[in-house]
Amino acid sequence: MIPVRPETDRLIGELLTRYPQQGTALLPALYAIQDELGHITPESMAYVAGKFGVSEAFVAGVVSFYTMFHRKPVGKHHIQVCRTLSCALRGAGEILRHLESRLGIKEGGRTPDGRYSLIAVECLGACDTAPMCQVNDKEHGLLDPKKADELIRSLG
Amino acid sequence: MPEPTQPQPPAGPDEVALLIDDKPVVVRKGTTVLQAAEAMGLLIPHYCYHPGLSIAGNCRMCLVEIEKMPKLQIGCATVAAQGMVVKTGTERVKTTREGIMEFLLINHPLDCPICDQAGECRLQQYEAAYGAGYSRFQEEKVHFPKRYDIGRQVVFDAERCIKCTRCVRFCDEVSQSHELSLFDRGDHSIIGTFPGKPLDNPYSGNTVDICPVGALTWKPFRFKARVWFLKDIPSVCAGCARGCNVNLATYQNRIHRMTPRLNEKVNAWWMCDPGRESFAPLYERPRLERPQIRMDPPAASSPAAAPSRGPALLDAAIDRAVELLLGVKKRHGERALAGLVSARLTVEDLYTAGLVLSKTMGIPRLAVPPHEEGKDDDLLIRRDRTPNARGAALLGIGPPDASRLKEILEDIAAGRVRGLVVIGEDPVGEGLLAAPALAALEALVVIDWWRSPTIEAAHVALPACGYGEAEGVIVNFEGRAQRLRLAVRPPAEAEPAWRVLARLGRRLGSSFEPASASAAFDEVAGRLPAFRGLSYRALGGAGVMLEGA
Amino acid sequence: MAYEPLLTRNMKRPHSESIEVYVSAGGYEGLRRVLKEFKPEAFVEEVKASGLRGRGGAGFSTGMKWGFLPKSKDKPRYLAVNADESEPGTFKDRLLIEKDPHLVLEGIIASAYAIECHTAFFYIRGEFHAGARIFQKAVDEAHAKGFLGKNILGSGFDLDVLLYRGAGAYICGEETALLESLEGKRGLPRIKPPFPALVGLYGCPTIINNVETLANVTLIAEQGAASYAGIGRPPKNTGPKLYCVSGHVKRPGVYEAPLGLPLLELINDRAGGMLRPDRPLKAVVPGGSSMRVLPAAKCDVLMDFDSLMAAGTMLGSAGVIVMDSSTCMVGALLNLARFYAHESCGQCTPCREGTGWFVKVLDRLERGEGRKEDPDLLVDVANRVEGNTICPFGEAIAWPVQSYVKTFREEFDEHATGRACPMQAAAAATTKAT
Repeated sequence: MIPVRPETDRLIGELLTRYPQQGTALLPALYAIQDELGHITPESMAYVAGKFGVSEAFVAGVVSFYTMFHRKPVGKHHIQVCRTLSCALRGAGEILRHLESRLGIKEGGRTPDGRYSLIAVECLGACDTAPMCQVNDKEHGLLDPKKADELIRSLG
Repeated sequence: MPEPTQPQPPAGPDEVALLIDDKPVVVRKGTTVLQAAEAMGLLIPHYCYHPGLSIAGNCRMCLVEIEKMPKLQIGCATVAAQGMVVKTGTERVKTTREGIMEFLLINHPLDCPICDQAGECRLQQYEAAYGAGYSRFQEEKVHFPKRYDIGRQVVFDAERCIKCTRCVRFCDEVSQSHELSLFDRGDHSIIGTFPGKPLDNPYSGNTVDICPVGALTWKPFRFKARVWFLKDIPSVCAGCARGCNVNLATYQNRIHRMTPRLNEKVNAWWMCDPGRESFAPLYERPRLERPQIRMDPPAASSPAAAPSRGPALLDAAIDRAVELLLGVKKRHGERALAGLVSARLTVEDLYTAGLVLSKTMGIPRLAVPPHEEGKDDDLLIRRDRTPNARGAALLGIGPPDASRLKEILEDIAAGRVRGLVVIGEDPVGEGLLAAPALAALEALVVIDWWRSPTIEAAHVALPACGYGEAEGVIVNFEGRAQRLRLAVRPPAEAEPAWRVLARLGRRLGSSFEPASASAAFDEVAGRLPAFRGLSYRALGGAGVMLEGA
Repeated sequence: MAYEPLLTRNMKRPHSESIEVYVSAGGYEGLRRVLKEFKPEAFVEEVKASGLRGRGGAGFSTGMKWGFLPKSKDKPRYLAVNADESEPGTFKDRLLIEKDPHLVLEGIIASAYAIECHTAFFYIRGEFHAGARIFQKAVDEAHAKGFLGKNILGSGFDLDVLLYRGAGAYICGEETALLESLEGKRGLPRIKPPFPALVGLYGCPTIINNVETLANVTLIAEQGAASYAGIGRPPKNTGPKLYCVSGHVKRPGVYEAPLGLPLLELINDRAGGMLRPDRPLKAVVPGGSSMRVLPAAKCDVLMDFDSLMAAGTMLGSAGVIVMDSSTCMVGALLNLARFYAHESCGQCTPCREGTGWFVKVLDRLERGEGRKEDPDLLVDVANRVEGNTICPFGEAIAWPVQSYVKTFREEFDEHATGRACPMQAAAAATTKAT
């Protein structure tokens, strides 16, 4: 039972030969799985372990090391608020608290409808736009509570 | 200011000379500082380093000062270089070790009173030797899962774990089963398995041995005995033809656990789980503690009357055995006698069996039943589960041989064999000897340590020592003669099989009556070319390869 | 004396990231010159002569690093570009990648030529989604124009650049952790020696260079070592530099100037001065969060490797974090301690256990449950982390802890006497005001 679509399976097969050594393809393969499934399930870890000829424990150890691999589902809009010093000096804490109350969830949580998830993350390397956040793969900087509200509205 | 002493001992082309704590030492190139110190009898404390595993360098306990290097260096990964000056006891090193100890303990539960590792725990040992004796940490500790079965026989307490990764490396490099991994990061890092894939390889117990703390414990040993009461007896595992060197931990005349003992030529630091558990039957099976004679009901009584068995005096049992066997010989001739002897018996047992059964009693055929399971693996486990098959062959009794066994069994079924001696084997329990064949036997004399089905069917049953209850030599598949050691006293009247056999022999007029296993072995060494020049004493703790074996 | 920007020269042009714009402004001419006029080892010497020091944080001579490669060529060599920019307060590589990827790519090709490597990995942090798209497009464009692939510009030199996305781990910016990650493993730093130049990716000789370092190689390829070495403060602090300014300033951003720009000029002129006139400068982290903090009184310093070293801190990644008088230094350190505790790989004892301990003590101080001995405890624990870890992460947390406590001792003592953070009310007011 392959837990991913044939296209993803094919892509992973192709990734296996893309680099000088097969292991290098593991992170790209995990991204491919997450792109399809939204998060990395135990079944998909077992599947990828089989593909790479490594143990499930090895794959799970790798997955757990990197914060961008989700082991449980995130919201359709995954809101990552930077909380490190440069953003904190410019009010990241307030943005986070504001979003918590606006979305009705705590940091680390997901709205019941699965639309939003909210998480505080470490420095995203965009300190010139502090306070900032990343929603999925897009950055939104120079936030204040009003702009944060507008952002949520625009996400729909 | 006096010039510091320079390491000047001569070093060969493949050697380097260095100074450790002002003492010169010469080691082979490639030796690490930690190993060089070890060679001169100096311990550089360490947790993650293990000589049988790759270097991880993560515990940082072995940090030492090396001249010309601004930072402290880890002894486990720093290769000794010519002229290196190493200091392992400076204030800086001491302060650092104290710090490492404090770090290792801040999130440790300090539950020594209920921890099985207590007494052989490196955290305890090193805290006493290198720690400050107190902690400045007053915060809430990180909490992790406790006491769960990470494998069939291994229990894991993640709070006690110091993340040295010895267990992970063992499963990656030695058992190559890869069940373990580190998960997550930082002080939330935790060793674990993948759901549905527990730590379950035939070598899992080694992770417990090499765990320097109480994180991994061996389920059968949990809460059985405090380790400081245990006495380790160096012996050899009898679970297969490898003969892994082991320690038998005993307390109050009982073996509580079996752990590997280093022998680079045989098993290095490891042993398999079945071997580790191989002493368990000693306490699970019913023992044969006294000789036993079967009383057949008189011919006139009712056909429903069953034979009865009862304990007998040893001399009476020996008399009865000889009487029955000679009776068969007289009635049916020598060919009607046969013997099954086990390759689990020692050299002394088998030698005496040959002497008494073949020579003195004239039994023409002895067969050694084979015991094979699976196949040889790449590490230690041998398909041949008998520990002394090679010894049996070298003694002239022959290696385990299925066809010889089959021939004898067929002759029993056909009534051609009427008298059978069985030593250390259980053909009835294994289904090789069925009821009709048993009924046709006029003499069944069995020597064994437990009340096997064969014992229960015997006309005469004689008690022998079990594993760990006698001294003796076995020869592993490579031809290494090694000593089994007496670790616990046998129960009641049980004796080494060779001694029981010698009693039978004496009854028949043989003069072979060695005083001990050692004397018996020395007799073997004097008579058989394969063992020539050896003595029981010379085998020592590591055994000796038999020349020409 | 007007300084003509070099690293940011193209960035004001529309579509500065496209190869057309780059080439029309003279791009890839430096590479052409290198391939034509230099033997590989000669270009290594050229880079040595330029005085270029790595822009990733350690400031090690780039040419010398290349020189550590073994003579023998029995194994393939690799170049791993460190685009894992994750040091808090640093966002210069992102700018280069997004706004002028070809400036970086040209440097990569010239460097790969110098070290005779035919496969380069561009390890970009996973969160840089736009950067990854833009850089991949740049690689594809360069292939199409013959700057990458087989027989580059007829020189006989072959090179492929493979983009590789990290997946969220600060530690992968440490060069051996980066290699582990590239091999598809947990990003745990390796024990050194052996150094990557001898045993790196897949056990082969490997050079790891930072994005900005490689952009500087392009400049050396264009103008030659002699001219390049005249920029900045020769002989040891040469070349242009991208300075990142964030925190309590009016205009946070990346500013280019030669090495040796006065820190106060950077804050007051380039970045527009303090955010609020009523809140004067209190402290500056000059080189990314791992570097020792400077109090306002010590900010009269030049921004280059040796000047900052003399001032007791380091240029690091040139991530300048500016803090005004409203900042609680205990809170600022707590914020960083959380970062390091979250990002510690957990491999070695002092870092794994120490980072979490710092957070717990600092958190207690902020909550008003401090004890008198806490400031000394923090410094002592930091001292026991420093120098004792597998990788420089130990220093990256020890230095801030030591320097914040020592520099702002009174503030820590005030917290430690058992009252809650005296600055918290003020800090809350600040965030509301901004």
